[in-house]
Amino acid sequence: MITLLKNAKVYDPAHGVDGVKKDIYIRNGHIIAKPSKTEKIHEAMDLSGKVVMAGAIDMHSHIGGGKVNIARMMLPEYQETLKYADPEAHVCGPQCSHNATPSTIVTGMHYIEMGYTAVFEPAVLGINARQAHLEMGDTPMIDKGGYAMLGNDDYFLRLLANKADQKAINDYVAWTLNATQTIGIKVVNPGGINAFKFNQRRLDLDENNKHYAVSPRQILKSLSRAVHDIGVAKPLHVHCNNLGVAGNFQTTLDTMGASDGIPMHLTHIQFHSYGAEGDKKFSSAAAEIAEAINNNKHITADVGQILFGQTVTASGDNMMQHLNAGFANPKKSVIMDIECDAGCGVVPFKYRDENYVNAMQWAIGLEIFLSVEDPWRVFLTTDHPNGAPFTSYPHLIRLLMDKSFRAEAFDKLNLDAQAMSNLKAIEREYSLYEIATMTRAGAAKLIGMDNQGHLGEGAAANITVYTEQSDKEAMFGKPDYVFKDGELVVKHGEVVKVVWGKTHTAKPAYDKSVEKNLKEYFEKYHTIQLDNYKISDDEMAADGRNSVISHTKAAG
Amino acid sequence: MQKSNNINTTTATCPACGMLCDDINVSDPSANTCAKSISFFSQPITESSPTIAGKPVSLDEAVAKAASILKDAQHPIFAGLSTDLSGFRAAFNSAQQVNAPMMHINAESTWRNTKVLQSKGWQTTTLMEVKNRADVILCIGTDVVSHNPRFFERNVWNKEALFTNPQTRNIIYLGGEGLDTSHGVSPNGKQPTVLPCATKALPEITAALRALIQGKTLNTDSITGIAVKDLETVVTQLKEASYAVLIWVAKDFSFAHAELTIENITESVVTLNKESRAMALALGGSDGDTTVNYAHTWLSALAPEEHDLKQYDTVVWINSFSPEKPLPTTDAPIIAIGNSQTQFVTPPAVFIPVATPALDCAGTLFRVDSSIVLPLKQTRESALPTLSTVMNKMDALLT
Repeated sequence: MITLLKNAKVYDPAHGVDGVKKDIYIRNGHIIAKPSKTEKIHEAMDLSGKVVMAGAIDMHSHIGGGKVNIARMMLPEYQETLKYADPEAHVCGPQCSHNATPSTIVTGMHYIEMGYTAVFEPAVLGINARQAHLEMGDTPMIDKGGYAMLGNDDYFLRLLANKADQKAINDYVAWTLNATQTIGIKVVNPGGINAFKFNQRRLDLDENNKHYAVSPRQILKSLSRAVHDIGVAKPLHVHCNNLGVAGNFQTTLDTMGASDGIPMHLTHIQFHSYGAEGDKKFSSAAAEIAEAINNNKHITADVGQILFGQTVTASGDNMMQHLNAGFANPKKSVIMDIECDAGCGVVPFKYRDENYVNAMQWAIGLEIFLSVEDPWRVFLTTDHPNGAPFTSYPHLIRLLMDKSFRAEAFDKLNLDAQAMSNLKAIEREYSLYEIATMTRAGAAKLIGMDNQGHLGEGAAANITVYTEQSDKEAMFGKPDYVFKDGELVVKHGEVVKVVWGKTHTAKPAYDKSVEKNLKEYFEKYHTIQLDNYKISDDEMAADGRNSVISHTKAAG
Repeated sequence: MQKSNNINTTTATCPACGMLCDDINVSDPSANTCAKSISFFSQPITESSPTIAGKPVSLDEAVAKAASILKDAQHPIFAGLSTDLSGFRAAFNSAQQVNAPMMHINAESTWRNTKVLQSKGWQTTTLMEVKNRADVILCIGTDVVSHNPRFFERNVWNKEALFTNPQTRNIIYLGGEGLDTSHGVSPNGKQPTVLPCATKALPEITAALRALIQGKTLNTDSITGIAVKDLETVVTQLKEASYAVLIWVAKDFSFAHAELTIENITESVVTLNKESRAMALALGGSDGDTTVNYAHTWLSALAPEEHDLKQYDTVVWINSFSPEKPLPTTDAPIIAIGNSQTQFVTPPAVFIPVATPALDCAGTLFRVDSSIVLPLKQTRESALPTLSTVMNKMDALLT
């Protein structure tokens, strides 16, 4: 069966297609070349005047790492608006606090309604991977994937402290990706989560974890090298040391140099781009950070934009979240040490435009977006829910595409922040092509998924159809149609068919003998058996809905 | 129907308490050191039939009757929920269809903890951190082993640890009644500190502990029979610890406003963490309670709450793990779905025996410390349908 989408105005940066009128053919869930005249077209849809892009990909959103579930449990008040008997009593906006901690069902529905067809959970603790996949397995409509956290786990730090050779590290990293069914490796506050367990309260890039006598720089070097050596496309996902600290931009700049030119992705870089200038000792270092990204071609970044409103911050970085717990609003928080693997910190937060620091954070994020020249190397995220709920993406897209809208918002900021920011002087407006690059083609390329994020032959038929409007928030908030693997699943902003999506993984090869030492370690120090840590493809598919796709290419 | 080639295991994970020990030798149950586990894995197999008002019927007849009762219900509730993750997911879907809230058999005790989480949050740890780091372990109002028999064996008196010498751990029991403190004696004979007081005095003694940790002075020599200087010694040990762990079991706190006592513990930890390292840890757990709490939360965005069953006109009672636990007391019709061993004083409106995860079918459970999720294996032949199978059949009749 062939479906034809005709006369679409296509934005497909993977193929350099910038608003060109084209026809798209779909068969068996994939995009195919124009079929021969003898083949029957079963269904044709005229998309004249519509803008068509591949399904969007969120490369960093906390949809299933256990932390948001703690947030849901801790914050029943976020859901109160949903309990009203009269739905009219509550007008739901993008910044509603319940969007910070939606159920898995609502998460999947809201993503697909915005034209997103794949979302990646960036902080999967190996020991918690089963929960992550269970939660994501209960998230309908979209494809999922995860990045496994390493670099604070005692097994890795022992390897590093004992000067294990790079091959041993590589095997452990590759084994971890296989065992946890993930597609990338993340490091959060390299060594810092672990150091907090030894009562260290901060860790700079060249400061040693006092037990292991290894530094974050060594961890970054070793892990980025491992990810590169084992052939995983997704560069090491780095949440830098000193999250949220005034003056932390220097750590971020230094971190860029820690991998000796091997690719690294610096995540939610807005939270790591703070200077310490001015009366309030808090300023924007967006210009320095953006310049460094522009100059360091091995670096990519997502922004982690903040938007004003009530949300909750959920991070593996319990060292820094413990420091921030005093700012909790409402006044409660969860800090956890987890299983000699990592930790987590969940702190509710309300960003207010009249607050100097919050207003600066808002401006810093936008300054970075607008100052990084290459849209293939910067990605649109709010670090959901940390900067804002993912439902605010259409608003964020408008801020990037509409200078006067941005100026209007800027004029409402805290006056001291207005005086300290040069955002208004930046003229740039993102084009549809650039938005398609950062939310589709670039994200798929970064993660290493050949059949996602584009509209060429062989791509999964994940397609979003918009009506072009000058109000870009309205345009991106409610696509006309969304196709998931060739099926029409959203019509005029409403889900018309429920599907369940797949799990994207990388399964690099490794020396099987790595399990010998791991088994010994598990038997001595763990509380579970090695076999129970590992998640098989069969287990992933046991719910009858999910299945695993590996993006690892055979060696050759 | 389960296939026999699924059963090739000698080592299994035990769902009999929240600790989910995954080293159970099921080919030689006598090698097992835990009475709860032995009793769980030696349940006899009975192929009991579904019943309507005590009379044997076919599965389809029982499901049809259950669906018709549910269709007539104005305010049904799904309770018990002693099951694993896939069982709970299926039950959740059915409950959604009839707008029924859900309440676990342990709701009264788990809700004590949830209230603290929702009021103040907390700072907690997991078992592997205890095993490898904890040098001071304070058990408050509990011996732990009444709930988690192998807690000390597996996590305290281990031979090796990454960052501490297990033999020299300092074990302290503060308050609680009828405790078995023998497990707190180290293998080389080091005795625990035991500071006894009645369970009902726990609110007072934990408030005193919290005050002392915060640096306040108490204008008395003794509180609920415990000398303040002894309590001060405990506080010093907690502050000097490399990694102190403060443990409670919500089920042992059967008194009004137990959440305030738990908050005394968790806020003590928050204060300790300003200068040194300490963490709280709620133990206990059974009947898949942690699993139900977590899965309910991600599926609905809300933690499950405690309800008064008397407010509901139909009860779907799910109990796969604990046949010895009685049906709830209610005048409403009960649709009981659960372990084939379940005995009834009065037969429920409908009874459907189902497979027990870890015996008759595979499954998945969360451990009591919350981040660790373990697979359960099928360990015996069985023809019993799974809870999901029954729920899916019922769903088809409810739509």
